[in-house]
Amino acid sequence: MTAQADTAVYVYGIMPGDVEFEEQPTGVGTPPSPVRLVHYRDIAALVSDVDVSSPLGTPDDLLIHEELLDASAAAVPVLPLRFGAVVANENVVADELLEPYYAQFSEALEELEGYQEYIVRGSYVHEAVLREIMAEDPQAAALSGQIRGADPAASREGQIQLGQLISERLASKRALDTQQLLDTLTDQVAMSVVRPPGDDYEAVHAAFLVEATGADQVTAAVRELAADWEGRIDLRIIGPVAAYDFVVTTGPSPGG
Amino acid sequence: MSTAVQPGGGSSARPSPSGLVDVIDTILDKGLVIDAYVRVSLVGIELLTIDARVVVASVDTYLRFAEAVNRLDISQEKEGLTDLVGDVTENGAHGKAKGALDAAGEKLRSLTSDDEDDERGQRAERSSRRSR
Repeated sequence: MTAQADTAVYVYGIMPGDVEFEEQPTGVGTPPSPVRLVHYRDIAALVSDVDVSSPLGTPDDLLIHEELLDASAAAVPVLPLRFGAVVANENVVADELLEPYYAQFSEALEELEGYQEYIVRGSYVHEAVLREIMAEDPQAAALSGQIRGADPAASREGQIQLGQLISERLASKRALDTQQLLDTLTDQVAMSVVRPPGDDYEAVHAAFLVEATGADQVTAAVRELAADWEGRIDLRIIGPVAAYDFVVTTGPSPGG
Repeated sequence: MSTAVQPGGGSSARPSPSGLVDVIDTILDKGLVIDAYVRVSLVGIELLTIDARVVVASVDTYLRFAEAVNRLDISQEKEGLTDLVGDVTENGAHGKAKGALDAAGEKLRSLTSDDEDDERGQRAERSSRRSR
């Protein structure tokens, strides 16, 4: 029987082995340990030690996980891991992850070379979109008129009806506006993924895989769309980030 | 078991507390899942749960929307409606207005706070040229 180890190895992502960091960054956990690379041939996993008895997932942990990967992705192709991957030790990383799947990881890294991910996200300006719905939908306008000034308890049914109507109208607008975003960028991006809405007033949320040389063009197109949508949708673009949305594990899971 | 570069489908909606909006949506739902790689054994580490509201249309949601409508400034309403009816196109887009995209090209860390922007200065570079 072996004694329980105090530390384990947290894995952030997989990248070419020839990446260097200017400073010595630290990783997740409290207190954090320095990150390092575990090599296998010409690829490597970015890792750091963590205390097995300490829970992970503070806001700092999440930010650090992403920042390390995004900083790396600015220099080299990166296969980012989902948050929370911990293995017993470095040998597991090299022997059970990098070696058996070397060919696949290498191929994926080659495919990503020269590409960057950008995320475009927008929220409806609450008042503007609600007025839009009132103007477009006579039923909503009528319900609103009935509810305004009425006893809240008595008008509860009408409130729920109005709310449901608004929810449906927002979903339609989200679909239309998302399509407009995709149409705007389709010729300039290699791949796109629509992300599910994160809150009630989300208008668009999508990730794009872009050739690094075409990034300026994409940013300019998003800027133009933002101008069109000024006052109606608050639009922003995030990136470049590691290609979280475009690297997938396919095939059956163990035990399946 | 294989790794592919292809669009990863959307997963269940996971909303975010303010300040970590984009990070959570990205690294908790996306990226490679290591325990799908057959021979990799995971060490169980307690993961803190992110307390967040699930985005499911519900009666509460509807009441919130109705409340928001109620709060629309009535005095502006009649005038606003007339303008909107005039300007609204097929998908509700307004006419072009001068406006700058306030976060174009912004790195993730800038969204959290300006202070953190300066502190976290991770930089990485290639130590050798990869030949093609």
